[in-house]
Amino acid sequence: MPVAHTTFDRKTRTATVRVAGDVSLTTAKEFYGHMRGVARRRDVRSVVLDFEKAGRVDSSGLAVVSLAARMMERGGKAFDLVHLGETHRAALDLLPRDAVAVADETDHPGFVRRVGMSILDYQDAGAAFLALLADTGRQLLYVITRKKRLPVGALTDQIEKMGVDAVGIVGLLGLLLGTTLAFQGIVLLQRFGAGVFVADMIGISMVREFGPMMTAIILTGRTGAAIAAELGTMKVRDELDALTTMGVSPTRFLLLPRLLALSIVQPALSLMSMFLGIGGGMIIAALVLHLPPDLFWDRIVARITFGDFLHGMGKSLIFAWIIGFTGSHLGMRASANSTSVGAATTRTVVVSVFFIIVVDAVAATISTIGAHP
Amino acid sequence: MKVETRTSADVLLTCRDVSVGYEDKAILSGVDLEIVRGEIVTLLGGSGCGKSTMLRAITGLQAPLAGHIELLGQDMYALDNEARRVLLRRTGMAFQQDALFGSLTIQENVGLPLRELTKLPEPVIREMIRIKLALVGLSGFEKRYPPTLSGGQRKRAALARASILDPEIIFCDEPSAGLDPIVAAGLDETLCQFRDVLGVTIVVVTHELDSIRTISDRAVMFGGGKIMAMGSVADLEASTDEAVYNFFHRVAAERPGRAGDGVDRLHHARTA
Ligand SMILES: Nc1ncnc2c1ncn2[C@@H]1O[C@H](COP(=O)(O)OP(=O)(O)OP(=O)(O)O)[C@@H](O)[C@H]1O
Ligand SMILES: [Mg+2]
Repeated sequence: MPVAHTTFDRKTRTATVRVAGDVSLTTAKEFYGHMRGVARRRDVRSVVLDFEKAGRVDSSGLAVVSLAARMMERGGKAFDLVHLGETHRAALDLLPRDAVAVADETDHPGFVRRVGMSILDYQDAGAAFLALLADTGRQLLYVITRKKRLPVGALTDQIEKMGVDAVGIVGLLGLLLGTTLAFQGIVLLQRFGAGVFVADMIGISMVREFGPMMTAIILTGRTGAAIAAELGTMKVRDELDALTTMGVSPTRFLLLPRLLALSIVQPALSLMSMFLGIGGGMIIAALVLHLPPDLFWDRIVARITFGDFLHGMGKSLIFAWIIGFTGSHLGMRASANSTSVGAATTRTVVVSVFFIIVVDAVAATISTIGAHP
Repeated sequence: MKVETRTSADVLLTCRDVSVGYEDKAILSGVDLEIVRGEIVTLLGGSGCGKSTMLRAITGLQAPLAGHIELLGQDMYALDNEARRVLLRRTGMAFQQDALFGSLTIQENVGLPLRELTKLPEPVIREMIRIKLALVGLSGFEKRYPPTLSGGQRKRAALARASILDPEIIFCDEPSAGLDPIVAAGLDETLCQFRDVLGVTIVVVTHELDSIRTISDRAVMFGGGKIMAMGSVADLEASTDEAVYNFFHRVAAERPGRAGDGVDRLHHARTA
């Protein structure tokens, strides 16, 4: 049986909607469709909703009645409820009297305003970032001058989490990178009868470029993302504010151990990946070119200068700071809803990788131009 | 609203000799309880006595260590997951820590069961949300995110969400904790409306004496790992049992071992 049935009186232009049975979650959709149909009829002047045969009316039924009242009002139709039972009356009393329906549309800012807002956002973020840098510097100074100290065990904890646990993956990838480079180099250099120079090539590229860069990218994914997620979650749960109210600097308590650990771990892992990359190349050169490993090593030692080494290590230190600061900055700026933590994490990865590659390119350009003006 | 002649269909919840706890350590045991359609039952008892744990057991979140629980005529722990979910749709739960989704607006939070489980048209859903939010006094908060609401407001939003499907029975864990007396009284009125108008059965954990007196058809008091007393509020208030008397007359209980056992406590803290 349909939940509502309408009869129309042409003379008075009145539609009488008779409700039959329960109006609940299962029938509300049909009831709504019916009422909307009535509301759209041009020939109807007034609508009477008859509850004589109605059963239980639950919140979905109430919602439809309330919506119907509004639709009729908008269409300039009179709307009356008749034969209400005791329970119907009580239920209808639940309807809010004063609360106006909220507009569905949020105001969308125009283009110019959007651009303006995003510029202000960047300015804001930039200022916050500088403040973070300054605060880190200040806290570092306190720690160095022993006015304050790092939380007990935090540094070793972080080194273990960021470094020791990453040894396997960084080592493996370094080795594989070395072998890949060797294959590529051998194919190319052998054509000129210069296969032995593969050692120079691998040495230079692992030490100056690939060692630091690959380690940095792995650490961005592992450590940078973790920092952002951790700090973001703490921010969302007010834990950062809790630290502040306790008078503990979040920068010193959370950031400094992470940054210092990264500054140790990143160069160390880079060093390891340089050696393993060279080792990988050495193995391939021995297998494919029958180049004795000691000869390979001699070429490396002869070719790579201390400057090359410093270049690689210096860059990896800078990469460490990029990762650490990006993760902390974006994590701490997570806002009060839980999706923002995810957003902070992905942004950390993208932004860090971007700046790592930019810095790398700039360093390569400067050092090359500097060496061969 | 007293039900005089009970039939089995009127008993919404039965607990028989139930023990609940964590990792075999019972926190409440020997709980026998029956809840009848259309009544508001308040669960009382000191902090940490196991009220929330009991609610978790009743709502199928945590199997009791022993005993038998029947909700809406079915033993939830004998059902498979899908059947259990279908059953739980006829109930609503407002958690002690609101449990609102932080990434959804209040409006989306409250409407989530409707959007996920019914095929109602969007305008009807919005109207239902509007009505329920108005009922709990949160008109105009539709677009806000939970973390930007006060604790009391979040609790009320959680209650709106728990009641959005017009469940037969609603469980509320301390809905009025953290509310000012006026808003708390308004919330009590809303709970009574749910009972009287929508016929909802309500189980409320609360510490507020005023609230207990206004809304309870029956009160159950937990303490000492079991049900200490059960009955109308008038009965409980007249009780000669010391703990029950103290609860209603706000006599501070003697805290066991206030001085002299500091070393002991430290020891426990470390081994816990
Ligand atoms: N996940 C858990 N594991 C072990 N013990 C728990 C766990 N959750 C709660 N407890 C313990 O169970 C006991 C009862 O906790 P419960 O949350 O049920 O108390 P409550 O009566 O709701 O208290 P309150 O009024 O403070 O909310 C407490 O002693 C608590 O420490
Ligand atoms: Mg509790």
